[in-house]
Amino acid sequence: MESVAHLTGLSAVTIWTLLKVLIVFSAVMGIGSLWTWVERRGSAMLQDRIGPNRALLFGRWQLLGLPQLVADGIKFFFKEDQVPPHVTKSLFWLAPVLAFVPALIGFAIIPFGRSFTYQGMPYHLSVLEPGNGMGMLFPLAIGAVAVYGILVAAWSSNNKWAILGGMRASAQMVSYEIALGLAVLAIFMRVGGYDPSEIIKDQMAGGWYFWRQPLGFLVFFTCMFAESNRLPFDFAEGEAEIVGFHNEYGSMKFALIALSEYAHMISASGLITTLYLGGWSVPFMPEAPVLLTILSFLVKLLFLLWVFVWVRWTLPRFRYDQLMFLGWKVLLPLSMVNLIWNAWWMTRGGI
Amino acid sequence: MGVIVKKVELSWLDRSYVWPIAQGMLITFRHFLKQIATPTSKRFTIQYPDMKKTLPAGYRGLHELKRFEDGAIKCVACFMCQEACPARCISIEAEEFSELNFTQGFEEKRPAAFKIDMLRCIYCGMCEEACPKDAIWLRNEYELAAYDRVSMNFGKWDLINTYAEADGKARLTQGQESPATPSRPASGQSGQPSDPA
Repeated sequence: MESVAHLTGLSAVTIWTLLKVLIVFSAVMGIGSLWTWVERRGSAMLQDRIGPNRALLFGRWQLLGLPQLVADGIKFFFKEDQVPPHVTKSLFWLAPVLAFVPALIGFAIIPFGRSFTYQGMPYHLSVLEPGNGMGMLFPLAIGAVAVYGILVAAWSSNNKWAILGGMRASAQMVSYEIALGLAVLAIFMRVGGYDPSEIIKDQMAGGWYFWRQPLGFLVFFTCMFAESNRLPFDFAEGEAEIVGFHNEYGSMKFALIALSEYAHMISASGLITTLYLGGWSVPFMPEAPVLLTILSFLVKLLFLLWVFVWVRWTLPRFRYDQLMFLGWKVLLPLSMVNLIWNAWWMTRGGI
Repeated sequence: MGVIVKKVELSWLDRSYVWPIAQGMLITFRHFLKQIATPTSKRFTIQYPDMKKTLPAGYRGLHELKRFEDGAIKCVACFMCQEACPARCISIEAEEFSELNFTQGFEEKRPAAFKIDMLRCIYCGMCEEACPKDAIWLRNEYELAAYDRVSMNFGKWDLINTYAEADGKARLTQGQESPATPSRPASGQSGQPSDPA
């Protein structure tokens, strides 16, 4: 690290940060595009179908449908990039970026491994280092920003169905934000801070919040589905059944919007892992080696991502009024109950 | 007459969503595990271009205009199918022919043109029902696709030849004069087409 820093004329901290950004960016993109395959193949398996198997590598190897990823990439690049004449051009081009960037940078705060010291220099395995003052408020704020991408895409399409889709999606995301915030608040209260590393240390000492706050976990988990626009709450797009906000998009712009959903999923899984499943901590091993902690984090993340797929292909979509009922009349009171119960328990001196 | 639907009272456990969702997810997961153990060829999916479904006998697909043994068309251009067709996709032009023959009986009409617009046809089988001569059949060919509308206009020759080879009869091609007034086969021979094309 020091020699590289000397060669490039940058400080070691800068290089380490750039490296982390690169790692996180490529990991999220890689897992996101891989998950489009897992989604198809997994859905096929869950529903007794076969799934993608027509794309062959060099016309010979099927590889469980994995070449479909390459075929998709090629297709998206060479498809005609059609921009309808009635759209607001500048916003129409900006919207996929607005949808993608918040989804991607939501992951920045999440620590994906144990911090370690090498040759006297501390290394933290998260893009934003612990003790930066933002902590878990950052992903919550970013989650709220993600609405803009959808709303801008819907509005700039200048299409009433797209706007309706965008309105549904934004109303849904905003109304689930509150229950989500209250559920997380109960954890902040227990931990006494909102830095992810503090939360993980607290869980290593006192057990995962998945056990300690099951109600909060349930609320948070459900809200994360609504936040990332996944089934059973996907009123934003609804691929075949309802007209969604990205109705007018095609080729690479559509791919970016679709990929942003997967990036959202990854960020959401990372958040759930950090808040409720002990983050990178390995059970029964307080002093686990760094690689093992990264592995532990990855296993939890991938399992949660698989649960996202699993739930999607099991449950049917909610009706819109059911969604609003669930959000306002069930999840919000439940998360309040969770908060108040935790507060009462803390006044009694419980942990 | 109304049907009385009994409303099911859900228990609080069912109304909580959590337990039924867990049950449902268990079911799909069991299917997932079962699919891992099942080889691709044994799954329910019919991989269409490679595997084809065997259709039931009563399936209504592409039409066939039936012929007699000697190749003459059975249709007598009575317009019954055209009248019966709810989609109005059949159009027939009749022509007269006066030579009597034995295989067909004493018919005096035959279709000069027999067109079915396959894009309009709804495969209801009404023409089959209406035909007094059993000349039009809907058979189980379902791969009907084309790149333009014109080629979905099936004429008499297309419909005659639909199942020609499957029936063991020779194909008839356009341009060759069909044995419209087949002569009586020579003694000792059965009714084979005189000149298979």
